[in-house]
Amino acid sequence: MKRFDTTVRSLRPVAEGYYELRFTWPISAGSQADDAPAPGRFLTVRAGGRYDPALRRPFAFSDYTKTAAPHAPASVSDEPAPDCATANGEANGEANGEASFIFQLRGRGTAYLAELKAGDALDLLGPLGKGFSKPARGMRPVLVAGGIGLGPMLYLARALAADAVAGLCEAPVFVIGLRNAAFVPDVDLPSGTVICTDDGSAGFKGTAVDYLGGFDPGLPPAFYACGPTPMMAAVDRLAQSRRAPYEAATEQWMACGVGACAGCAVRLKSGAFARACVDGPVLDGSLVDWEAGR
Amino acid sequence: MNAATRIDMSVRIGELVMANPVGVASGTFGYGDEYKALLDSDQLGALYTKAVTPEYRAGNPAPRLADTPAGMLNSIGLANPGLAAFIAEKLPGLKTRRCSVIVNVAGRTEDDYFEVLERLEAEDGIAGYEINVSCPNVAHGGLAFGTEPAQVERLTRRLRDSLITRASGCGRRPLIVKLSPNVTDIAVIAKAAEAGGADAVSCINTLVGMVIDTKAKRPVLAMKTGGLSGPAIRPVGVAMVYKASRAVSIPVIGLGGIVNADDALQYLLAGAVAIQVGTAIFSRPEAPLEILAGIRDFMEREGIARVDEIRSLLI
Repeated sequence: MKRFDTTVRSLRPVAEGYYELRFTWPISAGSQADDAPAPGRFLTVRAGGRYDPALRRPFAFSDYTKTAAPHAPASVSDEPAPDCATANGEANGEANGEASFIFQLRGRGTAYLAELKAGDALDLLGPLGKGFSKPARGMRPVLVAGGIGLGPMLYLARALAADAVAGLCEAPVFVIGLRNAAFVPDVDLPSGTVICTDDGSAGFKGTAVDYLGGFDPGLPPAFYACGPTPMMAAVDRLAQSRRAPYEAATEQWMACGVGACAGCAVRLKSGAFARACVDGPVLDGSLVDWEAGR
Repeated sequence: MNAATRIDMSVRIGELVMANPVGVASGTFGYGDEYKALLDSDQLGALYTKAVTPEYRAGNPAPRLADTPAGMLNSIGLANPGLAAFIAEKLPGLKTRRCSVIVNVAGRTEDDYFEVLERLEAEDGIAGYEINVSCPNVAHGGLAFGTEPAQVERLTRRLRDSLITRASGCGRRPLIVKLSPNVTDIAVIAKAAEAGGADAVSCINTLVGMVIDTKAKRPVLAMKTGGLSGPAIRPVGVAMVYKASRAVSIPVIGLGGIVNADDALQYLLAGAVAIQVGTAIFSRPEAPLEILAGIRDFMEREGIARVDEIRSLLI
């Protein structure tokens, strides 16, 4: 976890009202296995150089590519390379990766982000929170995305598809629920991705959960989801009916992002609260009270 | 400034000497560990912990936060692990801090405050107490205490009488009463705290506010109202510190929307002897140390040797 200033690489619209922001992610900001911008984890952005807005905005990573510096050693050895590694093993110099998130234009924070251009400065804090865990062998990862949940689920879908090719897990199923064809994202989707639209203007007509109701995963399913609360609740019911595990990426207004303020409380069925920022954002979806506050 | 002039950044609150005037406000910095990767709290003057109540408190329903112009609204509801868990899990880490650790104490009843204070008096590693009689987000206690002068005086006296004098070094821990801006006249409450034996008052806590989602036609916060903080409330805080510091002879600690050194200097000129940074930390975790450096620069430029001299400079 680190707060740092970095640079925008690109901003492009990916669907009606949705944008993908790509930016330089310095290796020193967190890239090792235990502190990488992994699927389900997030960062916060300072939207503007002053204190209006006063709150940073949280976004889940939609991608991260670790790019080694051109002069970095090709493999890790016990002996530190004399001119490109510091005592703590951190890359020294230009070893920068690239990360991204997808956001929806919603308010003044995202309006600021939607005006950014390549080369603009970006004030980030991350990586934060707990991400998704790896599915057990012999289970079918079933990923469900809705609305702004697209970013983290796309990232997880790509990661699990690559893991499946490497024989580390079973091939995932990725289902995206959208209002209509205008929201179909212009991004590289893993082959076999299922698009569902409420009005049938693209793909399956109905919600993602409607689709999954008639879907045979072939193996015991493990559900992963991020999206609007009604969708998250429907996946909870589906997972319970199949006695399947459910990892849910939650969303909440946030102030500190590091577990200090208790602002981003997510109510659990037990009556207790989890903090989306450090206990989550990925929580056991069967424990979350999806009806709270509705 | 004259190179011979030595700058002394320390400030005195009762018998406690803080290394410098900059603290991090209660509720914005957890119990110290949460921000360790982002801010070196050892360089601060004081760390005011999140409130401690006798019992575990889950806190208020969500949503607890709303975005506002140059600020934020919160209704956390004093969520905290409770006194026993605070001592077992949070205090060991706080004891390793080199800054003054001020434990913020809250409760529903006078007995609640007394219970927390009496128990913490038996523990090491605490520099002082900040008594929260001004939280706008709890149904009982909190704000109810902070708006009644007679209650503030009685509670302060009872807590003051329970404080022990320590033989080793630091003497008696100071009692700082945190005041609400949601009152008719803050000077009256400040005087009540002083009369009850407070060593200092801190002001201001948050202002009661409300945000309504016009599309949903309902308040954004689950509790409907919350406490407003951030730069939007700074002029209110400066005015209240000005007023309170002229009403009492004990030190006033200023807070409310401080995001840079100039803001902090407004509070110090208005009459505060120390300040707290809160909401700014959320946006820029380094802000408290940048503010400290800025105050020092100002003192060097102006040839000021001691922080408490700044308040005498207001014309």
